[in-house]
Amino acid sequence: MSDRQPQDPVIALEGLTVAFPRYGGEPVRVLKGIDLALAPGEVVGVVGESGSGKTMLARAIMRLVPRPGRIEAGRISFDGRDMGQLDGEALRRLRGRDIAMIIANPRSELDPLETVGQQIGNVLRHHLTLDKPAIRARSLELLRQVSIPDPERRINAYPHELSGGMAQRVVMAIALACQPRFIISDDATSGLDVTVQAQVLELMRKLVVERGTSLLFITRDIGITAHFCDRVAVLFAGEIVEIGPRHAFFADPKHPYAILLLAAYAQNERLRRYWLGDTTAGAAEGPATTGCPFARRCVRAQDRCRTEHPRLEEMAPGHFARCHFPVER
Amino acid sequence: MQLLAYLGRRLLFVAPQLVGILLVSFFLLKLIPGDPAVMMLGPFATDDGLARLRAELGLDRSLLEQFLIYLGNVLQGDLGTSWQTTLPVTTDLAQRFPATLELVTLALLLALAIGVPLGVAGARYKKGLLRTTADYYGLFAGALPDFWFGLVLIFLFYTTWALVPAPLGRLDFVILPPPEITGSLLIDSTLAGNWQALRNAAGHLVLPVLTLGLINAGPILKMTQSTMERMLESDFSRYAEMCGLPERVVARKALRNALPSVVTIVSVLYGFLIGGAVLVEIVFSWGGAGQYAVGGVLNADLNPVMGFVLYSAILSLVIYLIVDLIYFAIDPRTR
Ligand code: SF4
Repeated sequence: MSDRQPQDPVIALEGLTVAFPRYGGEPVRVLKGIDLALAPGEVVGVVGESGSGKTMLARAIMRLVPRPGRIEAGRISFDGRDMGQLDGEALRRLRGRDIAMIIANPRSELDPLETVGQQIGNVLRHHLTLDKPAIRARSLELLRQVSIPDPERRINAYPHELSGGMAQRVVMAIALACQPRFIISDDATSGLDVTVQAQVLELMRKLVVERGTSLLFITRDIGITAHFCDRVAVLFAGEIVEIGPRHAFFADPKHPYAILLLAAYAQNERLRRYWLGDTTAGAAEGPATTGCPFARRCVRAQDRCRTEHPRLEEMAPGHFARCHFPVER
Repeated sequence: MQLLAYLGRRLLFVAPQLVGILLVSFFLLKLIPGDPAVMMLGPFATDDGLARLRAELGLDRSLLEQFLIYLGNVLQGDLGTSWQTTLPVTTDLAQRFPATLELVTLALLLALAIGVPLGVAGARYKKGLLRTTADYYGLFAGALPDFWFGLVLIFLFYTTWALVPAPLGRLDFVILPPPEITGSLLIDSTLAGNWQALRNAAGHLVLPVLTLGLINAGPILKMTQSTMERMLESDFSRYAEMCGLPERVVARKALRNALPSVVTIVSVLYGFLIGGAVLVEIVFSWGGAGQYAVGGVLNADLNPVMGFVLYSAILSLVIYLIVDLIYFAIDPRTR
């Protein structure tokens, strides 16, 4: 396992498992044994459909799993420190300052009653001890950095007065405010139209790469990860089913589900029909099998898949897949 | 500027709204069986006398005609006379409406002072003493009839411990009331420098204000708590938490976002209590507006009732206007 974890990672998840208790039954595990570590400056894309546990991953790293869920097992370390050992106050100081979040739908996540300046200022005031003029100067600088035109005017705008793209930039400004070591982007840019999305992504890439910030880029759009992620991980049913360096992943995807995602993204109709033809995507939930969770939708599934849970195996250097019958090319 | 345009538009609708309210209440009141003439002349009236009185009161005309006559009088500032008090309704209400207003305003201030902090605490803490208090308070305040609670308070504080003056009106009979300026005894006696009256009026206010305040803190608490809980679970609170803002800052943001609902429930309670405090008014012989209107309904004395409706309607419109202005101030999206 150690060979695929980078040396001195900024953030390292080991066996992270998040469970929600269920009345009269086994708890539902929305994340199962996630191992993932990001080197300083590394950008890792995490792709998955809704329900795969993407958002829970972001929230678990923040140690903000919504009730009644909880981190059942595993360890999250930031800069080598076990976050589980930190008290609430220390965790709070970490959030927003060392680990920042870029969210989706920023227009509903920004406080509707506060101006852009107040919201950036809140973060600056509570994490760095700046006085008022310094806060204002820094806020304007941040707005400029995220390419918001006319920051002197926009600093007094309320969220409802911003376009989706502007709001997304404001959220990026807030994330960058304290110069964090690690940023999680949770489905950011998903609500934007394509051109704005491209601009915002380019900006994000530039700001992150320039500063050497590590970025966990969670998305449902596998195509986006091709642009700027160093590594790509595919999440399915709370498990990483494939993870590898970007080039290896896109050139030679191993896991049937990853290929399904790629095919769905591909505009090529023939390729899509080929992969999607006889799968029953979105089939009704059957009884949980002990085997591969993807078995019910997998075209390659065989008897072994239904009984034996596949392990994450190294297919090529740094390229892992969780499949008994990985696709060979 | 936008605000002025908005106010102008609102005021434009005030007159038709008031006429509409009067129209509906007039016809509804006429539906209640009861003949004022019979009530006024008593059991030994002759048919002749009744007919004459009816003609005098205009009761022999059609309902529409009666309404138009009434409306014409109202426009000239004449709300008619109450046959029970034999005084013009405006005179009666000038005394009774402030009595009710003073009571209800103070009660709601008390209710706010209890309901909002408890509601906020109930939403912020998932367990603990404050949370339990909030839960039980909401339950009990919702279940207790206010007049009964008033009687209990009288029994304890007046009958048993004699801590407050007798629950008979707003002032002891031996106390000289201050000259009437605002109608609020507290304010008027302060203005007049009549400390004896001030102390006595305050003593009389304690129990009815406690009664209404403690009971009505219930709905305010419930509303504050549920809205606050919703706000604390909303996207922006979650985001604030992810930004590592301290819990109290997150709570303050949530409260600000919850305030419009609190303002709304208070305005609704205010409008309601003007008439709805009547049982408590009766228990404390308050001589308030609600009591006056109910007396009118029971004795087929319609002018007081109509007058009460008109005054309450105007008050409600004013309250809603104030509420809108508060929304305006709180929420930039309404600007
Ligand atoms: S283990 Fe079997 S079912 Fe699961 S993805 Fe691989 S081939 Fe498909």
